[in-house]
Amino acid sequence: MASEFELLRNVTIGQYIPINSLVHRLDPRAKLLGTILLGMAISATTSLVAQLLLLVLLFAIAKLAGLTIGYVLRGLLPSLRVLIFLFIIQLFFQGWREPSSAIFLEVGWLRVTAYSLWVIVLGILRVIEFFVLVSLLTLTTPATQLMHAIEILLGPLQRIGVPVHEIALMNMIALRFIPTLAEELERIMKAQASRGGRIGRTPWWRPDQLARARIPLIIPLFLTALRRSEDLILAMEARGYVSGARRTRFARLDWQGVDTIALLLMAIVFLLAWRMPWPAINFVSP
Amino acid sequence: MKIRTRQIVVAAMMIAISALLGITGLGYFPVPNVTTDATIMHLPVIIGAVLEGPVVGLLTGLVFGINAYTRYLGLPFFVDQPAWVPVLVLFVPRVMIGLVASWVYLALRRGNQLFAVGAAAVLGTLTNSVLVLGTAIALGLLPVAAIAASMPQIVFETVLATVLTIGVVAAWKQIDSRRGGSSI
Repeated sequence: MASEFELLRNVTIGQYIPINSLVHRLDPRAKLLGTILLGMAISATTSLVAQLLLLVLLFAIAKLAGLTIGYVLRGLLPSLRVLIFLFIIQLFFQGWREPSSAIFLEVGWLRVTAYSLWVIVLGILRVIEFFVLVSLLTLTTPATQLMHAIEILLGPLQRIGVPVHEIALMNMIALRFIPTLAEELERIMKAQASRGGRIGRTPWWRPDQLARARIPLIIPLFLTALRRSEDLILAMEARGYVSGARRTRFARLDWQGVDTIALLLMAIVFLLAWRMPWPAINFVSP
Repeated sequence: MKIRTRQIVVAAMMIAISALLGITGLGYFPVPNVTTDATIMHLPVIIGAVLEGPVVGLLTGLVFGINAYTRYLGLPFFVDQPAWVPVLVLFVPRVMIGLVASWVYLALRRGNQLFAVGAAAVLGTLTNSVLVLGTAIALGLLPVAAIAASMPQIVFETVLATVLTIGVVAAWKQIDSRRGGSSI
């Protein structure tokens, strides 16, 4: 019951864990580009073997960054129930897609085929991989550094009128405020629960009851966020922030040899995932 | 494109809320159907668009689109499709939500405010559902029967998003006119 109110415990995305590891010391530009390359690798291959290897690689990077795999995966917990539900529904739906190849089980509406098992396992692997990938980036990179990296990498787009600095700043403020708003949400939940709100006591399979229980949480959450943004706007303007003005940077980024090596390795991983003839395990029985 | 400080900050807060709804699972409601669970993840996009205009709608929609893309790319429909298919189905409709919602609100705000906000919420939500389902069906990812199967989800999402948008915008505008102090 108490865990219903501890939202932050499971929020791993958007939090930075300061550890002095090789991954943490990498240039944020290298980390951002590497993340994009790994994301492309995950999307590029449909082989289960390649996907498993990519997952192992992600776990290895987490180890190298001094993070435990359990901690990185913990962020998946809150949405786990929904994800499991989603994939069980897929089991019913995908079983009827053709060509189905081998049929393992057929009971009424449920049909488990080699094809459906393959796409579902692939889907689960991809969801976990994308989650770990994004978590790794934010766990090992402070938000300010990430913002500088986005700004520098998107720099060329500024010439064609894309507000690169503003987009980077917006993302940084968003990342910075996720833990703060989570705290606010906890406070709202406790306030509503102490007034008799049905927090954490609604059956999760009843969307109507869930909605009724969540409306008194979500509306105050928005209002708190809007009030906080008024404060922030005032603070920024009081300090002379002018949107669109040319700005210099306080922190300088320093690209080193190890960054080039890390980036090259990620490029090789992407090429391997994309071009290697990976064995296609489709659960096809001989 | 010129963006004011206010627009940057409000868009950022809406993105933070969107992320929070996703991380905590508060934004998802398990309604049985073939596509995905019912969601109010697009709510920050609509509220941002109504309060601060199309620029904020576009910016938050972009981030929501990227978020939806990474979340649902794992869905089995996309396994044997070329790379642009998930972009068209998952990303483009999300970018359109904010634009449609703010245009509707701007067009109707001269009349009844609450009606304008409600219409923006309804049409913004439908933009999402109709474009996602429509492109998925047009590209042959889903059978036409998916429309009927998705109806409970679409109705649920539209009603909930409208209630919440009107709730938030009405409360916020009221607070504005009273200069502080919420009655929620």
